[in-house]
Amino acid sequence: MGKQEDFVLRALEERDVRFVRLWFTDVLGFLKSVAVAPAELEGAFAEGIGFDGSAIEGFARVYEADMLAKPDPSTFQILPWRGEGPSTARMFCDIVMPDGSPSYADPRYVLKRTLGKAAEQGFTFYTHPEIEFYLFKDTPVAGADPVPVDRSGYFDHTAQSMGADFRREAITMLESMGISVEFSHHEGGPGQQEIDLRYADALSTADNIMTFRTVIREVALSQDIWATFMPKPFTTHPGSGMHTHVSLFEGDRNAFFEAGAEYQLSKTGRQFIAGILRHANEISCVTNQWVNSYKRMMFGGEAPSYICWGHNNRSAMIRVPMYKPNKGQSTRVELRTIDAAANPYLAYAVVLAAGMKGIEEGYDLPREAEDDVWSLSERERKSLGIDPLPRSLHDAIGIAEESELLAETLGEHVFDFFLRNKRAEWEEYRGQVSAFERDRMLPVL
Amino acid sequence: MSRPATTKGTLLRLGFHDPDASLAALSRLDTAADPLLALLARSADPDLAVASLVRLLEVVEDPAELLEEIVDDEGTAMRLLCVLGASQALADHLVRHPEHWRELTDPLMGSTRPAAYALRADLLRAVGADPEADEPTATIPDDEAVDALRVEYRRALLRLAARDLAHDLGLDDAAAELSDLAAGTLEAALAVARQRVGPDSGLARLAVVAMGKCGGHELNYVSDVDVIFVFEPTDGGGDAEPDLGAATRVATQLASHLIRVCSDHTSEGTIWPVDAALRPEGKSGPLVRTLASHRGYYERWAKTWEFQALLKARPVAGDLALGHEYLDTVSPMVWTAAEREGFVADTQAMRRRVIDQIPPREAERQLKLGSGGLRDVEFAVQLLQLVHGRADRQIRPPATLSALAELTRGGYVGREDGEALHDAYCFLRTLEHRIQLFQLRRTHVVPADEESLRRLGRSMGLFKDPVGSLDKAWQHHRLEVRRLHEKLFYRPLLAAVAKLPGTEARLSLEAAGERLAALGYLDPKAALRHLEALTTGVSRTANIQRTLLPAMLEWFADAPDPDAGLFGFRRISESLGESPWYLKTLRDEGQVAERLARLLATSRYATSLLEREPQGVRMLGEDLVPLSAEALTEEMLASSRRQVDPEKAVRAVRAIRRRELFRIAAGDLLGLIDVADVGAGLSRLTDATLEATLGVAGRSVREQRGFEDAPTRMAVVAMGRYGGFELSYGSDADVLFVHDPEPGADPQAASSYATAVANELRRLLSLPGADPALQVDADLRPEGKQGALVRTLDAYAAYYAKWSKVWESQALLRADAVVGDLELRRRFETLIDPLRFPEEGISPDDVLEVRRIKARVDQERLPRGADPQTHLKLGRGGLADIEWTVQLLQMRYAGHVPGLRTSRTLEALDAARAAGLVEEDDAVELAHAWRTVSRIRNAVTLVRGKPGDQLPRDPREKAAVATILGYPPGASDTMVNDYLRITRHARAVVDKVFWE
Repeated sequence: MGKQEDFVLRALEERDVRFVRLWFTDVLGFLKSVAVAPAELEGAFAEGIGFDGSAIEGFARVYEADMLAKPDPSTFQILPWRGEGPSTARMFCDIVMPDGSPSYADPRYVLKRTLGKAAEQGFTFYTHPEIEFYLFKDTPVAGADPVPVDRSGYFDHTAQSMGADFRREAITMLESMGISVEFSHHEGGPGQQEIDLRYADALSTADNIMTFRTVIREVALSQDIWATFMPKPFTTHPGSGMHTHVSLFEGDRNAFFEAGAEYQLSKTGRQFIAGILRHANEISCVTNQWVNSYKRMMFGGEAPSYICWGHNNRSAMIRVPMYKPNKGQSTRVELRTIDAAANPYLAYAVVLAAGMKGIEEGYDLPREAEDDVWSLSERERKSLGIDPLPRSLHDAIGIAEESELLAETLGEHVFDFFLRNKRAEWEEYRGQVSAFERDRMLPVL
Repeated sequence: MSRPATTKGTLLRLGFHDPDASLAALSRLDTAADPLLALLARSADPDLAVASLVRLLEVVEDPAELLEEIVDDEGTAMRLLCVLGASQALADHLVRHPEHWRELTDPLMGSTRPAAYALRADLLRAVGADPEADEPTATIPDDEAVDALRVEYRRALLRLAARDLAHDLGLDDAAAELSDLAAGTLEAALAVARQRVGPDSGLARLAVVAMGKCGGHELNYVSDVDVIFVFEPTDGGGDAEPDLGAATRVATQLASHLIRVCSDHTSEGTIWPVDAALRPEGKSGPLVRTLASHRGYYERWAKTWEFQALLKARPVAGDLALGHEYLDTVSPMVWTAAEREGFVADTQAMRRRVIDQIPPREAERQLKLGSGGLRDVEFAVQLLQLVHGRADRQIRPPATLSALAELTRGGYVGREDGEALHDAYCFLRTLEHRIQLFQLRRTHVVPADEESLRRLGRSMGLFKDPVGSLDKAWQHHRLEVRRLHEKLFYRPLLAAVAKLPGTEARLSLEAAGERLAALGYLDPKAALRHLEALTTGVSRTANIQRTLLPAMLEWFADAPDPDAGLFGFRRISESLGESPWYLKTLRDEGQVAERLARLLATSRYATSLLEREPQGVRMLGEDLVPLSAEALTEEMLASSRRQVDPEKAVRAVRAIRRRELFRIAAGDLLGLIDVADVGAGLSRLTDATLEATLGVAGRSVREQRGFEDAPTRMAVVAMGRYGGFELSYGSDADVLFVHDPEPGADPQAASSYATAVANELRRLLSLPGADPALQVDADLRPEGKQGALVRTLDAYAAYYAKWSKVWESQALLRADAVVGDLELRRRFETLIDPLRFPEEGISPDDVLEVRRIKARVDQERLPRGADPQTHLKLGRGGLADIEWTVQLLQMRYAGHVPGLRTSRTLEALDAARAAGLVEEDDAVELAHAWRTVSRIRNAVTLVRGKPGDQLPRDPREKAAVATILGYPPGASDTMVNDYLRITRHARAVVDKVFWE
């Protein structure tokens, strides 16, 4: 065993940990958890904890159900919401097959593989997510409209607001789990919050996002409210995105930065953006994986509908933020498509793969969008070469099925499962008769 | 001039290489030159020796005295010139400190090794510390002390090098003395550190425990010195509680100053780096720990390799009492390490690391790492100490050579092997020493330039052809080490089970079992039984087995199923018994034995073929290319004709078939033949078998019926995968039987005769017997199972004219009339060609029909419970998908494209590509997928021993298939991912080309 395993085993002793929750993520991005006693952990490090993979969404080909969860000791954390006394800890796991080979069904392995490929070219991938979510007064009830905890708007400071208390407690808890918070404020919709995590390497960020969602839900429950990362809970209010600032580093050097270049953006940076733009349609069903995701991207505002980039242009899909002098290391680009309900492992893997493709093939960056893309006419956009993003999950799946980039990145197993699952989701949705239809038609037809 | 005798020629003869320069240098020695000439000639590099001597004379206070001394005292001269000729760095040292030449005048040097305490005292005095004190502390100013230590260290090193080079010091002595010198140096450095820390230094007792080579008393001239620091707060006396915090601080300061005193570069250079990375938690752990903290760590957190490191722990400086307490605390744990969970896995990983980690660059010239390097020997010896040292205290000495000697004495290593390894280790280490001595640099690479090699060879006493001899000796010893695992790990296992009279000690059965488990055998008891059965006795056979098995055991251990390998080997060896060629072949043709080991421990199919007829082992020495159809047919016909009884005749044919099946399987498993060769080879083999059997069956029926001549001519048409030259192991042969009555023969009698022959042929080939049966399947005939087994050519013509359906035309694409009457075969093909290759292609309605049938097949034919993604034959992008696609192209376009008129998938695909019917990229995808799926399908049969159409789900079988396909261990899910990708691409092409 290595030093990190040793550290964990020691910490269990010193912190009086009674249970360790082993966390992993299924293909759709839902967190799974197995609790083990500390005594079993040594074995878990050596061999993993066996479980029936066929019970997990998207994991096993039916006949190879035996899988092992192998904890990653570098992700060890005490869970803060369990209160005083004996504590509970968590670790993220890698999923392996009985012969010790990593499982291609494990989203964490998908991301690790993609990061590994980038590392072969000398790059490390850093991400910095801005996560939005809504707070409601009650737990959801089928058929009833949810009631937000307040009626404030963007950056509003509200006296004794539930949201502010909530953010304070959530942030304290996140920080105590070693997840640094950069920024937090009230977002545009009623009851909508935004919390930004500090930038970190993509694997840590993805782990952090999974932890973040759990923490936010736990804190909400403790205050008798409900938190949701649903991409678009209201027709009339903005949806919840997960804008992510991304950058590549070569060793200690930010590979996106080049002094004196336009927007201080290096050739590598431009090719990376070009890669994401060219493959935006293909990866859409991963960055925006739900039927509901596409309703977020219909009405303008913070969510993009068109494939373009711009300097400080908030209507563009990719925004190159204003350069701050002497901050070459912080050169980055902001991707605005990803929503808060994406599987972060898969989403970051496909974004990185698309960007790396741009670098490998030396794509040229299309011209910058200088206007508010929403205000342009269809014809104007066409003449500027600005294509729309998929308009529905159905469109996205159709494009994804033809994508070699996506298959290569996700691995055959996840690619196949994911698309089958999404198609089923679409078919189920297609058959639904909605309140909208009844409201419109019953009175008149 | 008084010395005309010395000429360039003399110098060249004496081993000088630059006679011009050396003549000039010699002239500076004046009258001393002649007497010194012979001694110079014995130095490693005479040119360098004389040049350095001249440099020394220029700086020495009294050159005349020096010259006089060396002319008068041969001993001094020999020591000085040997050092000057072998070490540039020490020559430089002498030039900087000329007075040190007097060190070499001591006449006792040749016989006396300085005691460790004397070296320690000299080094301490050099920094002004009192060797008698409990905590010696330097007294001269700090920077002077640091320099003085370096000078004193080199002075001692100079004496050691002189003894090593001029007095044939044994390797173990030189290495031990270097370790003592290092220990004294650490002590003196600690004295300097104490001075730096000041009076507080008394707050902690600090012990320096050497690890690695220094701890093992086998240090190199230049290498890192590995240490661990242990401290305890000093007992304040009286009531005062010892202050742990202050003691930790002081101990840490002492330790870090000590490290710097040794490794800092000053005007007097550096000594060597002190490396404390072997401490608990490595570089991230605290530099110093108390006894209790060390104990806590090793009790709970340490890993197998850390215990391995502790094998060499030895207190060398500071508070020795504390150091010994440390040793008493941790060493019992070393010997319980083997009981820890995961020990076997760790050892296996360590063993593999020894084998695998061959650094790509410089590997060929590396002494330490790489195959056949010193690290291999050290690692393997330590591993054996850990495995067996718990029960046997004798084998615990820390030095590699002593441990090896004890292991040999205890029977854990054979005596001859132990001696050979001892010699090899000494040679390689001495070579390493000589290389390092030249520049006093830490290097383990043998230089490649001739000049250096000449110097090295001569320094090791190889004066005649130094370069060539050195290389020869080096290769010889390296070879010894390369087969180290065989010698150290495997050979002693045999001594354990062989009940041989003899005085040599041997491994106990229990120890042998432990070792087999550590090597990856799942059932060590059974393995020992097999070994015993194979090697017991004093017969020649048992003798040869004992020399053979160590290597076999290693090959088995490297394959997917070692236990099966050994068991199979036992059965084959037993059934071949005393055959004189068997063991001789294995012993003398290394390739045969290794191939046999790999086959037995990988493939049940090949093992079962061999078991039925072990003679096949012989074949493994050949190139394993499938024989030509002509040669096979001729052999089969000839041997069937020698038998009168039809059953015996066909038995002879089937024996030849079995032999050839093994040839193909072995070539496939060993990666010698391509997947297309396998399919073609198996199909040709079936041709020959049917041809010979048809002859036998005909004879048999004619005899029964009393016919003189056959009333009709017969032919057999290959169909399906057989017709396509794509048979795999264990597939049935799909055929049609056709006959054509001789003019004037009674049609009824002719037909009855032909049916009887076909039935007889099928019966003879499916009779139970020692050799695998060949099932002949005629279900593709017109009207299927309801139809007549044999039809006349005219009947076929009538049937096809009347009833032909598109699926029958499709089946005929794969028809290849290969067996029986040549004329009839030709006529049959002429008959069916217009059907299968219609001039204008099949009608649009027929195209639709083909697609409809395929859709139904996709839906219905997949067996229950099969996974459509990974079904090799009927799955997505599987064989059926690809073959139907190619066949549809053939039916549509073969009328115009002659290249399409073939029964083989890949040939037809290539013709379609050439004719532009399929895009280049698409054709490549399809061909690649077809080959991959076919390879996996063959591999599945080879591993399981029976055919299978599903990518294996059982982890062991999956891993074995991945191994056959060339994937590294632990990559079986990568194989699945590759399979899924390749077949997905194929499916995309099928969607485009077949379904349009």
